[in-house]
Amino acid sequence: MDIILGIRVQDATIIATSKAATRGISILKDTDDKTRELNAHNLIAYTGEAGDTVQFAEYVQANIQLYSMRENDIELSPLATASFVRNQLATSIRSRKPYQVNCLIAGYDTKKDQPTLNWIDYLGTQVELPYGAHGYAGFYTTSLLDKHYRKDMVVDDGLKLLKLCLKELETRMPIDFKGVYVKVVDKDGIRSVELD
Amino acid sequence: MSDPFSINGGSAVAMVGKDCIAIASDLRLGNQSLGVSNNFEKIFGFGDKCFLGLTGLATDVLTLKETFRFKTNLYKLREERSIEPETLANLVSSTLYERRFGPYFVSPIVAGLGHKDNKPFICGFDSIGCIDFAKDFIVSGTASDQLYGMCESLYEPDLEPEQLFETISQALLNAVDRDALSGWGAVVYIVTKDKVVKRVLKTRQD
Amino acid sequence: MAGLNFENYQRNSYLSTKGFATPRATSTGTTIVGCKFPGGVVIAADTRATSGPIVADKNCEKLHRLAPKIWCAGAGTAADTEMVTQLIASNLELHALSQNREPRVITALTMLKQHLFKYQGHLGAYLICAGVDPTGAHLLSVQAHGSTDIGKYQSLGSGSLAAMAVLETNFREDLTKEEAIKLCADAIEAGIWNDLGSGSNVDVCVMEVGKDAELYRNYLTPNVRSQKARSYKFAPGTTAILRESVRDILDVEETVVSFDQMEVDTEA
Repeated sequence: MDIILGIRVQDATIIATSKAATRGISILKDTDDKTRELNAHNLIAYTGEAGDTVQFAEYVQANIQLYSMRENDIELSPLATASFVRNQLATSIRSRKPYQVNCLIAGYDTKKDQPTLNWIDYLGTQVELPYGAHGYAGFYTTSLLDKHYRKDMVVDDGLKLLKLCLKELETRMPIDFKGVYVKVVDKDGIRSVELD
Repeated sequence: MSDPFSINGGSAVAMVGKDCIAIASDLRLGNQSLGVSNNFEKIFGFGDKCFLGLTGLATDVLTLKETFRFKTNLYKLREERSIEPETLANLVSSTLYERRFGPYFVSPIVAGLGHKDNKPFICGFDSIGCIDFAKDFIVSGTASDQLYGMCESLYEPDLEPEQLFETISQALLNAVDRDALSGWGAVVYIVTKDKVVKRVLKTRQD
Repeated sequence: MAGLNFENYQRNSYLSTKGFATPRATSTGTTIVGCKFPGGVVIAADTRATSGPIVADKNCEKLHRLAPKIWCAGAGTAADTEMVTQLIASNLELHALSQNREPRVITALTMLKQHLFKYQGHLGAYLICAGVDPTGAHLLSVQAHGSTDIGKYQSLGSGSLAAMAVLETNFREDLTKEEAIKLCADAIEAGIWNDLGSGSNVDVCVMEVGKDAELYRNYLTPNVRSQKARSYKFAPGTTAILRESVRDILDVEETVVSFDQMEVDTEA
């Protein structure tokens, strides 16, 4: 029931993840951040089996940073980052105990000056999208996004659209997901945003 | 949640014409009933006049696309020429059969013209690499049953490139309209000896 | 074959525990037969390949060459009959080259059965193996588990019952070559008409002592598609296009330029 949502606008990619950490019928925490910074311009947001998620996110985070240390401070592009993560999951699904992790990767390609949003599931299915979500959130929000998304939106428009989605989720989701953390990835890097 | 071939959905078809071939696919990528992307291409080029269509489980489509990119690049380095469609077909077959007891969940199709003689070639495979050499058309994907019907009635031999385009497009379009898991856009490649034309079709969006 | 890769086996077992179905391989739900005659042997097959209830290929080839004068008809999982046959064919050629002799049918059969036994029936290949070698004409068969049979006439595949009925009634020890071909073709036809898994055409291969093997591809074509009542061509422009991109393929032409005299700088 975790919510992760991503919207790519003209100059940035926006990610929203629910704050609630649930186990069974209990909410264990209302300040859970389901994202990790992979490098200066790449952010991974994840949902899935507890334990697998953080383990996997931090594993790819470490390896992506190790790559940059070894390779003369070259920062992996969003496409390279997403391909790496996909490859890890596609390999994992063939192993004895696969990672059950679905993720979104928000990135900003500093060479091409382009924001990207990559949707990757636990099977290793990867696709570049203008907006996307994992889990039940997708069923409630994709129709809204289809209707209101415009190619020429900027961050503020994106945040407005995001608020629209969150309002829908708050009314329709069966449990309280304790609000969301919102992060923006643009040419200056990754930053948190407070929604009013 | 039962058949890995129909989690993501998608269909492809190839046809032989007069000194040309056409290969087409839809553009949908879904997660069960939820459409995720309307821009997921399933046809990949290897060399100028050689194409591979991959339908089935999307993660395996991506993995195999990369595998064959790797293998055909090495082939090109070793042989100093692009791979022929017949050779690609055998490469696909042996790559799939290598995983006889743990297959990739895909149904590939190959279409192309010979690099020297421009001889049209198409073929299809099952998920463990059995080649289906056909002289007329090859279908694959979640709308394959519908495509068999469409192709069997619309196809005729020796069509000129433009006529072949209409035939393959209408066969694909009308087949995917009867499949909930396929559609959401379509793309067609028409390959003749001196050019490759790629056309993105206007389709239903439901 | 460097060996099979079992990597995905684990993944797929895992997937099937989660309720995923296993893939449907193309099968040659076939009729294949073979019969001997004094001085030679004939094998024959239908040409239908199925995937579940769908006819995947209306004119596939089920007669495989193991060696120039040893041929083999395959039923069962199409990929397995094809691959096992290719593997044995190349090993047989290497064997023939190293021994400097023509390969024997019994050698091919032994290689096939040892390979299939190793895989405990998981390779679904059912083969009728026939040919001529320095010891004469032979007709043998192998089952997926590795067991083998020898006989004067044999049939295998889903249409084997229909075919065997024909073989049993019409087989004689003193068939001529033409009669043997006819008998095999009739037996396959019995499968084509009476077995759902078999259909389309009849392929025949004749191997005679002291002669080259002869393959009659589509020896009988009793299921030719009738002329379509009308053409279903669409008017150009029927299909709406959103975008078009064209890639021109440059054809490099090479011409050899010959010089009458080599240009040499004589000044220096």
